[in-house]
Amino acid sequence: MSVTVLVAEDEPLMRERLLDMLASAWPEARVVAAPENGVDAWDAWLEHEPQVVFLDIRMPGMSGLEVAERIGRRSHVVFVTAYDQYAVDAFDTGAVDYLLKPVQPGRLDKALARLREKLDARPDDVSEVVQQVKAASPQPKREKLKWLKASVGKQIRLIDVEEVLFFQADTKYTRVVLADSEALVRIPLKDLVGGLDAGLFWQIHRGTLVNVNAIRAAERVDAERMQVLLRGSDEVLPVSRSFTYLFRE
Amino acid sequence: MWKRIEQWNREVEAEQLAVLKDPTMVAQLPAGCRRFFARKLAGMSPAERESLYQFSSTVSTSAALLALVKLCVVLSVLGLLINLAFLPDRLWWHTVIAANAIGLAMAMSLMGVWFNYGKIVRAKGKALVTIVGLGLVGGLFGGLTAMFETGGDWSFLLDKLPRIVVTVTIVVTALVAIPTIVVAVLRNRHYQILAEQLRRDAEQERLARELSETQLRLLRAQIEPHFLFNTLGAVQQLAEQGAPRAAELTSHLIDFLRASMSDMRSEQVALTTEFGLVDSYLRVMQIRMGERLRYRIDLPDALAATQVPSMLVLTLAENAIKHGIEPSMHGGEIVVTAHDDGGTLRIGVRDSGVGMSDTPGAGTGLDNVRHRLRLAYGEGACLLLSEAEPGLLAEISIPCKEPQ
Repeated sequence: MSVTVLVAEDEPLMRERLLDMLASAWPEARVVAAPENGVDAWDAWLEHEPQVVFLDIRMPGMSGLEVAERIGRRSHVVFVTAYDQYAVDAFDTGAVDYLLKPVQPGRLDKALARLREKLDARPDDVSEVVQQVKAASPQPKREKLKWLKASVGKQIRLIDVEEVLFFQADTKYTRVVLADSEALVRIPLKDLVGGLDAGLFWQIHRGTLVNVNAIRAAERVDAERMQVLLRGSDEVLPVSRSFTYLFRE
Repeated sequence: MWKRIEQWNREVEAEQLAVLKDPTMVAQLPAGCRRFFARKLAGMSPAERESLYQFSSTVSTSAALLALVKLCVVLSVLGLLINLAFLPDRLWWHTVIAANAIGLAMAMSLMGVWFNYGKIVRAKGKALVTIVGLGLVGGLFGGLTAMFETGGDWSFLLDKLPRIVVTVTIVVTALVAIPTIVVAVLRNRHYQILAEQLRRDAEQERLARELSETQLRLLRAQIEPHFLFNTLGAVQQLAEQGAPRAAELTSHLIDFLRASMSDMRSEQVALTTEFGLVDSYLRVMQIRMGERLRYRIDLPDALAATQVPSMLVLTLAENAIKHGIEPSMHGGEIVVTAHDDGGTLRIGVRDSGVGMSDTPGAGTGLDNVRHRLRLAYGEGACLLLSEAEPGLLAEISIPCKEPQ
């Protein structure tokens, strides 16, 4: 039985190396995506929901730590880092799996043995250790988006992000819906995710971010599916299976 | 007439003060008596000149003349008292003149010795002989005068000669030579302690400077573990694939390590050496980062031999990678340039990465660069950062130096 795996690493040679080693050390592993930055890593996770993710800590867009926070306890996370003594100490005390770059075969075998053992169990909660590491080491300060520029006909409209009811992916663009109107911005949704306040805009689907203040209710469609009803709009937004936990009592 | 004397005096005073402040001024003076005295002043030790300068610049000619008059009055009174108490058979104005002559001579010699002690101490024996010899000449002159005045003959002088010699030697030695030499020795000891103190201070300052320079260089020379591990990982991967680029990457890494280790030992390197180091670093990074990194290095031939503090440009290049290109989703380009901007050397490292807002911990490397620039050039050099739209430009400006 194959195991779905995601490998996120920004340097091409290091990425190839980890993929080659996984291929020979863990034949059951099926790599579903090998993104080269944090933003694509999160998007690929949403697309494939792999069982295991290998996350480089230092990545552009979003760090491996940020991606791990978003994944939560929905995948087994293995961090990969070249040299970060503080993180390594924290991972050791928190029993979080990690690999040191360059990854050496013996060390990888050990990590894989541990992974196989707990594959069927619910993934460990790494959030506490991640918080600890983020607090202790300097994190890139990414400024949160306040305004969006959207072209409407001949005009460029400035949209206050807080007035947005929800964002919806539309191939290379993003549909921005407000109470009285809507607009299209030329940025893919995955690139907007990192710039938005995760506490204000909940991701309920790979292609949907919704403003918490605009949610009127969430209702069950069947055993698996849910949908969100909004204030100020008649649209109904589907909630994908992996995000239904947001609305559980 | 008086005005002209005053004018002349002011000129000489200014001239002498200038020479005391800067002995090389002597060369600009017209040859002659003034230059002769100025050269004497210039020949004194710096500490002697300094104390004489202090004295001359606070005490004006008129004040000195007034002091001289006061001294003469005191000496005259002293002469009168001596005349009344010990030598009632001499004419009173003879003793007054003698007292003034002896007193002024002592004052002059003490003043001379106060400011020019170094020379006296250097030629202690010679000074003694000179003083006593001059005394003897004076004594003989006195004896001869007495002989002609009393209408005596040569036998009178020959008769008195031994007494004159002994008396003059004792009196001159006691009144002039010994005080002169004692004052000179004391002053000289004081000067030597002062000079020693100054020398020690300078030495200490030099050592502290060297130490901080070395510490900063060592700090800088620590090769980042992240860099080393990631590069070794890349080498390992290429080697395992049997790619010829494995050897290429290894040789760039070797170049980089060798250059950074030899640069670590030297304070200053030629710009071409430093740019070579930056080139091997960026080559390594380019193989590792693939398409995400492009770079260009431009060094005009005329600047190749210009000396700059080692590893400064490398620090800027590493900063550009770490805080500009690596955090950028789509990578970018680094351009390293140098040019002579009318006597100022400008070295620029521009990256088209994420710019200034996204750079946590960017300070330490740049602080180190600023610190070392200050150590090497004082306030003459600087490091400026500016937004480059997109990205960041870091520019070092230093005063141009001729290649050594």
